[in-house]
Amino acid sequence: MFWTLVKLMSTDMSRSSTSVAFRSTLKRDLLIAFKKKNDIANPFMFFIIVVSLFPIAITPDGDRLAEIAAGVVWISVLLASMLSMDNLYRSDYEDGSLEQLLLSPHPLFFMVLSKNISHWLVSGLPVVVAAPLLAYMLSLPQEAYLTLIASLLIGTPILSLIGSIAVALTVGLGSRGLILAVITLPMSVPVLIFGTLAVEASVGVGSPAGYLALMLAMLAASLSLAPLASAAALRISIS
Amino acid sequence: MSSSNPTATAVPDSENQQGAVMLSGNKLFCERDDRVLFQDLDFNLHEGEVMQLRGSNGSGKTTLMRMLCGLNDGYKGEISWYGASVSEQAGDFYHSLHYIGHRVGVSKVLTPVENLRWSCSLKSEVDDQLIEKTLADLGLRGYEESPCHTLSAGQQQRVALARLLINPMKLWILDEPFTTLDPKGVKQLEENILSHANSGGAVMVTTHHKLNIPGMNVLDLG
Amino acid sequence: MWLWFSKLGSPKWFYELSGKWLPWLVGAMIISMTVAVVWALLYLPPDYQQGYTSRILVVHVAVAGTSLAFFPLMAVAGTITLVWKMKLADMVAKNAAALGAWFSFITLATGSLWGSVMWGTWWEWTDARLVSMLFQFFLLLGVVSLRSALEDPDKAAKACALLSIVGCINVVIIKYSVEWWNVLHQPSSPLSVNSDSPNGPEFWIATIIMVLAVYLFLSISLILATRNEILQRERRAQWVQELVRNS
Repeated sequence: MFWTLVKLMSTDMSRSSTSVAFRSTLKRDLLIAFKKKNDIANPFMFFIIVVSLFPIAITPDGDRLAEIAAGVVWISVLLASMLSMDNLYRSDYEDGSLEQLLLSPHPLFFMVLSKNISHWLVSGLPVVVAAPLLAYMLSLPQEAYLTLIASLLIGTPILSLIGSIAVALTVGLGSRGLILAVITLPMSVPVLIFGTLAVEASVGVGSPAGYLALMLAMLAASLSLAPLASAAALRISIS
Repeated sequence: MSSSNPTATAVPDSENQQGAVMLSGNKLFCERDDRVLFQDLDFNLHEGEVMQLRGSNGSGKTTLMRMLCGLNDGYKGEISWYGASVSEQAGDFYHSLHYIGHRVGVSKVLTPVENLRWSCSLKSEVDDQLIEKTLADLGLRGYEESPCHTLSAGQQQRVALARLLINPMKLWILDEPFTTLDPKGVKQLEENILSHANSGGAVMVTTHHKLNIPGMNVLDLG
Repeated sequence: MWLWFSKLGSPKWFYELSGKWLPWLVGAMIISMTVAVVWALLYLPPDYQQGYTSRILVVHVAVAGTSLAFFPLMAVAGTITLVWKMKLADMVAKNAAALGAWFSFITLATGSLWGSVMWGTWWEWTDARLVSMLFQFFLLLGVVSLRSALEDPDKAAKACALLSIVGCINVVIIKYSVEWWNVLHQPSSPLSVNSDSPNGPEFWIATIIMVLAVYLFLSISLILATRNEILQRERRAQWVQELVRNS
């Protein structure tokens, strides 16, 4: 679906197609991520460590942990994704690649989207994969695993897309860690609400399908709107 | 402040055969922090013309270049591309523009080849052979596969300059491209600029070096 | 229409016009504020359910209603800043963010004051309105801190404009999702939802006057802050220098 959209946009450009630029940006960012393994590993380790701190601070009792397991996983995901967001545009800003990206003849929307996708692949996806293990350690009931994974799979891209706006707005700042948190965390509340509600619904009575559908709607909305805002924010930050 | 500039228009067309007006500014005005950088600035950059932006530190050379590229929109006045406003033909304009700024746009983690594969793919499709040949021409043979943080500043500058040669674009806007280059590199770039102009392209460049480019025009920002 | 629009955007024009309006606005505010405060806090009969506590609600409802207006106001101002590059819109938006944060804070404070009597607790997570107001407060603080972090005023103006637009959309989504979340957690709550709206026409009339007074207060604060901002930013303009010389 996505590729056809990209191709559609680029039909009128004879010289270099947007889909080529999109893929080459994706490839480049993945390459950079694999060369700078720290940037992937650190947020991931942070995620695992934060989750394992909760039982120590709250209780080792499995029954009580099971109650908060979904919330713990989700909040840790939120914090980890925020930490990793900082890498999204910073090095490109510092070495001038971001200027080159802005001066490309292609719609900045797709370039930003490409960067967001590659960022999610290296920072969001590993967290989703590790989630069941951590859920087990927090003694989340087994029937909730699938919902947890599904909700994370839908929710983490939303967090990346929203976070990208705030990162783009603050990319020129010297110290931006905390301001990034102040801006992004309140915006992530809806994702947190529906993500945890979905998991709770799959444990108790009711079905998580409705919540997951709502999250899918939120994902669709942020896929189409957030890159626009990020692109505008980048233009503001670069000027 | 310098108004419409006498030096820019007074220099007669020399041996460079100048063609149509490619890029022009009309009554450009820019202020930063309550200080007027320039006002009523007019210029025409023709096909086949090399124009040096001159001015003391803080006179707005970099700002003007970023305005022309569309990176900075904090100005008044008009910038046009072949007679029509740039924003109306952005696709065409950005398919004809090379800009190399202070931050050259070379990722330190990637190798020169990987860097060029990406930055050139934004403008047109390129093959690796051309990239490798250009790197070799620029004296980077043997560095193709080393990450750019192992390269010196001048070598990184050359990687950025390789873009000019790989993707043929009509307009080059180069902000201090000579600073980190050695004498041989300076000479090579001068030659590249000259041959680009002779083949109908246009170049706008800032530098504090004394350039050896015949027929070069000067736009003085004071 | 366009002429009018660009005239409206001229700081000088705004400064002169607002100078003429200010005495009237201040007068109207003083009258309505006095009427509302005296009536609401001294004479309003006790509610049959809540007793005298309902008098706090007059202030709370008025401030809460007003603080909901800030994000839409900032989003509109932000759109004008981004699209038409009108300086005046940004001057208003800049002050609206800080003022909005204060209003949200007062809403939270009066709300929990009322709650401390009615619910026996200063903070109640099961009240969706309080929770979403809390997050609106956070978002407004985010805009304020982004403004202070960016040094270049032009860049700060545009960045905050964009963040206000995004934030405005977000506040709406947060409001509905918090309500949803709240409804689902309601069974565990000892409170019932409809115990908190007091009855009686006097209450509503007092509240309406209070809302009017608070809106007037808001406009006056915004106008005064914007006038300050105008003098500061246009300090090199001739008319400002003449103004200073003649005063």
